[in-house]
Order: sequence, then structure tokens, then C-alpha cells
Amino acid sequence: MAEITISEEDFRKFREFFYRKTGIQFEDSKRYFVDKRLIERIERTDSECFRNYFMMLRFDTSGDELQTLVNLMTVNETYFFREEYQFQCMVNSLLGEIIRHKKDSTPIRIWSVPSSSGEEAYSIVMYLLEHWPALKEWDVEIISSDIDTSIIRQARRGRYSARSVQHLPGQLLKKYFKPIGLEYQIADELLGAVEFTRVNLMDPVDVRAYRNFDLIFCRNLLIYFDDLSRRQAAEAFYDALNPGGFVCLGHSESMSRISSLFRVRKFAEAIVHQKTREE
Amino acid sequence: MQRILVIDDAATVRLYHRSILEAAGYAVDEAINGVEGLEKALRAPFDLYLVDVNMPKLDGYGFLQELRKTELPQAPAIMVSTEAARSDLERAYVAGANFYLIKPVKPDALLTDVRLLLGAPRP
Amino acid sequence: MAFVKPPVAQPHRDDQCLAPRDFTDLVAELSYPNPAARRWAARDLAAYPEASLALMACLKEESHPSVREALLTSLTLIGDEVAVAGLVDCLRSEQVGLRNEAVEVMKELPEKVAPIMENLLADENPDVRIFAVNILESLRHPLVERWLIDVIEREPHVNVCGTAVDLLCEVGTPAAREALTRLEARFPDEPYIQFAAELALKRLGED
Ligand SMILES: C[S@@+](CC[C@H](N)C(=O)[O-])C[C@H]1O[C@@H](n2cnc3c(N)ncnc32)[C@H](O)[C@@H]1O
Repeated sequence: MAEITISEEDFRKFREFFYRKTGIQFEDSKRYFVDKRLIERIERTDSECFRNYFMMLRFDTSGDELQTLVNLMTVNETYFFREEYQFQCMVNSLLGEIIRHKKDSTPIRIWSVPSSSGEEAYSIVMYLLEHWPALKEWDVEIISSDIDTSIIRQARRGRYSARSVQHLPGQLLKKYFKPIGLEYQIADELLGAVEFTRVNLMDPVDVRAYRNFDLIFCRNLLIYFDDLSRRQAAEAFYDALNPGGFVCLGHSESMSRISSLFRVRKFAEAIVHQKTREE
Repeated sequence: MQRILVIDDAATVRLYHRSILEAAGYAVDEAINGVEGLEKALRAPFDLYLVDVNMPKLDGYGFLQELRKTELPQAPAIMVSTEAARSDLERAYVAGANFYLIKPVKPDALLTDVRLLLGAPRP
Repeated sequence: MAFVKPPVAQPHRDDQCLAPRDFTDLVAELSYPNPAARRWAARDLAAYPEASLALMACLKEESHPSVREALLTSLTLIGDEVAVAGLVDCLRSEQVGLRNEAVEVMKELPEKVAPIMENLLADENPDVRIFAVNILESLRHPLVERWLIDVIEREPHVNVCGTAVDLLCEVGTPAAREALTRLEARFPDEPYIQFAAELALKRLGED
């Protein structure tokens, strides 16, 4: 088989297409990284050359090949304190604004979806315990959901690899985890703070019961969806939020490909999307 | 260097505007529609916005209205459109545009407007 | 105070959406004064294939953005001929927003839009022809390149051609080479067309 090469113009063409679909922009300096993964997919799909592969990618109605590529081009493993700046934004800015507008003392409700194996939801709990003094005055309900029941079972169990805790400050690891062999077991205090549920975000019947949230984390999911599914997810979030509620997306994700239902808000730590207050 | 944000849903148009502006010495970034334009402006404001009218999610008018509501420095904006109707022009000025160009844009016309609004490029 | 485990389901106090309603109720609710009620009706009508006419009618009147989004999502999910015919109407609207929304929905409905594509590309209104080319962008259809080549060969309006070349930069094959060269010759004084056609030619790849 002849050597597969990606020309400069192929790279640019692909870069524009990928940007339009996902919002992810590759700098020229990423050329090697992108080429390598493209060549890998061209070989795996027996497309023989970039042109055949690109046509297949564009015309693939299932969207499976694009999803595979997104997987290859992004980090899709979840870990504690991933994209920590958003948790900082939550304790320094978002929660303050939420309680200022709250009319009663009902609990603050946070939804972390997709939960995957629970790292994100437990990170939220730790962040609140460590960095949000108002936790003394407020009740907080944290619900975390995923479509995959086996991953939910893992999340409820709370047993993690060294890799998944590697970004945690040592003193938090000591405080909230117990080493068991090569793994780490999370403390009961954290296990008891999150309710894990199974939900398919694409199913209107599933999401209907999720209402009255003040804050939603939805990171590293929408980027894998096609346009219509993203729209449906944005609709579900809109209905799940209280007026003035916030959505935090992953750092490579943007509402710009999805919906104009939300207002873009800038805080010191992050850009966040907000449901308007009127209505 | 003065920074310009080019907002258009067509990749080739963005590239075309970018090549003209960069060759004249300005720094350029791109956005695919009004929502992404706002996201980028809020991350780091620009000195000038070059905005297409017809775009999905948030069109050019909507973008300018939202931009004018933010606390960002009120940088000038040029609207670009395929339409030359009087009503469109008026809408653009009401939304806060400084100039209005008809597509396809000629490089000289674009640079004249940009220089008027920003002055010559600074290093 | 602390972390509490909630009952997951949290029905709203004034929760219209949890009560079972039939098609007629839902259509009536599309004109309720409360936007939240209209939005729920629009969302729930997605389950009724016969709802496209009612949703379409509502889209032309509705001003609340959150209701409009729900109407558009439901129309896309139903996506029948009635919906497509209504969307074509919207392409001629005076409202920029409505036109752009119609384009977005039609991009999601390739099978339904493909049969009327040739008519749209021959529409007498150049704006409708531009929108038709915009819709081709996401249309997964074997004739896309052929249609684009026809546009740049025959289309008199420079901006319709400009939009078609933009897309040829992405989908063009060597089959478009001659048409692109002729297009350059047809608009020698349009720098954008020269720029875009050159780019498309560079990206065609080898024969
Ligand atoms: C890459 S993980 C993201 C985990 C975490 N939010 C993060 O940012 O690290 C993606 C998860 O999305 C879940 N998922 C995929 N489709 C879903 C759907 N329709 N509804 C809910 N969850 C879904 C998968 O099961 C998987 O656990």
C-alpha cells in the first residue's frame, strides 16, 4: 500500500470542517498531531487516501466516524478536578449570585450530567466543603446522571485509580480517600452527598422529572452529539433550570453550535451560559 | 496591534477578510456566528468587529444588540450583507453598526472603513 | 446545613406538563398567554406527526425566543412534507431570524429537502437561491457537487456563486475544475470570487 500523506490543503480543509462541526480550532502547530490521527483513521477505515476518507466522513449519516475522530482528538477520560477553573467560578461567583436571587431557603440544586464514574460530582462536593463557607447556611442537593448503568454503579461505589486522582492536591487525597491496594476509596461523607441516577438526555420522558436546578454541569458530552441531539439537550437544560440558572460546558465546547436560548455571561474564572430571569 | 474579529458563517469569506486585514497589518480572529462572536469577545474584547448579517443561531443584528448590552468597551463595528435595501441599512445603524458594506466586499472599501475606525495599524 | 439527597422528581407547582393532554388540548395551549405553557405544548407536540401545520402556523406569529426554539426542534423532529413546505415559505420572509431558522431546520432534513432542491436553486429570488446553497452545506446527498457546479456555471448573481464556491472548497473534486476556471473568467473584477475560486481549485486534489 502506498504511503498515506496529508497535504497542507487537506489539513486546512479538514480543519475548517472540524471547526464548523465541533467548534474545536487547531493551530498550525497541531498539524502533526492532527495528521497522525487522520492517517490512523484512513488506514483503519480502508479509505486509502485523504479524499476518500473526507468524503466518507462528510456523508456518513450516522455520525459515527465524526464521533470516533472527536474521541481521538480530545481527552475523553474523566478525572478529579478536571477543568478546575469552573469549580472556582462556581464557589467564587455563581453560587453567590444564585443565593442573592433566591426567594426562600429551599436547597440549592446542582445537576452534573453526564456523571461518568462520578469524579465530577465528587469534585463539586469537595470544592463546596473546602471553598464555600456559605455551605453552613444552605442545603445543597447534587444529582448526577448518566445513560450507562454500569458506570453509575462504579460512581456509587467510589473506588478510583491513581490516574484519576492524580490532579488532586495531596492534602485532599489524604482527607477524603483511603488507599486500598493500588486504588483509592472515597469517604462515606462524599458518597452520601450525591444522588446518582440513570438518564438518557435524548429522551424527553427521562428528562421531564429533572426540574428546578440552579446549576448544571454538562461537560464533554455535547461535543459528541449531532446538531439535532445538541438542540434537544439544550432544550432539556432550559426546562431543567430555574430562571437565572447557569450551564457550565466543557472548555472545548460552546453553545454557538447549539442554541441561542442562553445568554453568555463572563465571570473572572470562566464563560458560563445563563437562562434569562424574566418569564 | 489592533485586533479585529471577523464573524461570518462561511469559511471562505472569513479567510478572505482575514487575508486582507492581516496583509494590512491588523491581527484577526474568527467566529462562525453571533453566539461564538460574543463568547470570544467576552473572553478578550476586540478593537473592531466585522459582522455578517445572515448567520444561524444569532444573526449580525442580534450580535450587535447583545454586544452593546455588555460592559465591554464599545468598539466600532462594520456590517456586511448581501442586501442593499434601505431598511437593512437603517436596522444596522440602529443596532450599533458604524459602517455597512455590500458583499462581495472589495479590499479597498474594507480597508478604507477599517482605517477610518481604527487608524493605521500599530505594531 | 449540608448535603441532602433529594427526591429526584420535582414536579413544578404549576406543572401543566405532567398532566396528560391530547392533541387538541396541546394545539389550544400553543396560544396560551403564558410562554412557559406555550413552550411545553410545542415540546410535547413533537410526539404527534400531524402537528406540523399547527406548529408552522405558530412559528410565524410567536415572538418568545424560548417558544420559537421549541417549535423549531419539534418541527425538525417531525420533519414531514408539510413542515418542509412551511419552511420554504419562511425562506421568503422579511424577518432575518425566521429565514435563518428555516435554513437550519432544513439542513437537518436531507431526504425531505433533496427532491425540491432543484426548484429552490432555480427560484426567482436570489436570496432564496443563496439559502438553498446554504442548505446544501449539511445535506448528505450524492448530487451536492453536481448542483454546485451547475450553480457556478449558470447563476448570474455574484453572491449566489460566492456561496456555492465556499462550499466547493469543502466538497469539490476534480470534476469542478473547469467550472471553477470559467467562473473566474466570468467575474474578473470580483476579488472575492477570484480568491474563493483559487482556493477551491487548490483544494480539489489530484485527478
Ligand atoms: C467523556 S464522559 C464525560 C464525563 C465528565 N462529565 C467529564 O467531563 O469528565 C461522557 C459520558 O457521557 C455518557 N452519555 C453518552 N450519551 C449520553 C446520553 N444520551 N445521556 C446521558 N449520558 C450520556 C457516557 O455514558 C459517558 O459516561
